[in-house]
Amino acid sequence: MIRNLAGLIITAAAAAVLFAMAPGLDVPEELHGPAGYYVENGLEETGSVNLVTAIVVAYRGMDTLGEVVVLFSASTAVVLILTLIPMATGPSRPSPVVELTARVLPGAISLFGIYVVTHGHLSPGGGFPGGAVVASSFLLVLLGTTGMPGSSRLLTAVESLAGISFGLMGFWGAMILGQFLNSTVIPGGTPGTLVSAGLIPLISLAIGAKVASELSGVFASYRKKGGEA
Amino acid sequence: MNYTAVFYWSLAVTAMGLVLTGIWGVLTRRNVLRIALAFTLADTGVNLLLVWTGFLPGRGAPIMDGTVSSVVDPLPQALVLTSIVIGVAVAALFVVVGVLASRKSGSADVRRMKELKW
Repeated sequence: MIRNLAGLIITAAAAAVLFAMAPGLDVPEELHGPAGYYVENGLEETGSVNLVTAIVVAYRGMDTLGEVVVLFSASTAVVLILTLIPMATGPSRPSPVVELTARVLPGAISLFGIYVVTHGHLSPGGGFPGGAVVASSFLLVLLGTTGMPGSSRLLTAVESLAGISFGLMGFWGAMILGQFLNSTVIPGGTPGTLVSAGLIPLISLAIGAKVASELSGVFASYRKKGGEA
Repeated sequence: MNYTAVFYWSLAVTAMGLVLTGIWGVLTRRNVLRIALAFTLADTGVNLLLVWTGFLPGRGAPIMDGTVSSVVDPLPQALVLTSIVIGVAVAALFVVVGVLASRKSGSADVRRMKELKW
């Protein structure tokens, strides 16, 4: 009772804070802050048609590197805990529907994920959502079997390679143009084509590979038995 | 108050409602898995609220391929894009720690997890 009352009071206080942040009942008409700059100069400076990807990879590339590190530490913690203390009680046999779906669909899902990663600078998408889509196809494979598909060593190798190449591409920009993660160190190409926007597709690919392998590693560790590294 | 304003503010109210439901759930639920679920609700609400701050009614997605003349703010979308993936990883960690703690105390009830109390 006291617990519910206290929860209600704190929630009401949070509601007051949230509603106090509302600036008024006007609907904004213009972009404010750095957004106007990005919209005006983003395409010209980075060559990426999709401005969201331009910001994620080029303007705020440093933040993205930090986010990748956060993702890495969270997934490492999950894998570490599950390796030290086994949780699997032995998977039960999947139903025939799941089994058949897991044989038919993962290829198509992975292909779509790779498309989302590689076309991140042209259409909605990029490394993070595409990597998550690829990881979801791995999860489907995992649900459709009682064994362990693939090797965790391969996952670790892909993850490390992707992380290292992300960092190296950052230093490439730092060495040539004196700016970490500058994506214009290689020629931009025509905006709107697949090979364009300088380093942005390559960095997207590295992020996609890292996200996919990391999330797959987390999914796989739920299945793993104790003692297997 | 015209239709656009109602639409615009109903988005904000939805996002705030999700955040508040999440906070209330984290504070009052006892099952650790339900707390994790409430946490992800709040997470989703915060993401929606962030995207909403960059939303301008009547404008298109920030993809400059010539099909839209004016676009919404791309910056919150870029930040939320990464935040969603981080949310998944944090939720996975939350669930794993929760399952561990419930094994140790023999129940998923947070009132019986004495290690966190003083």
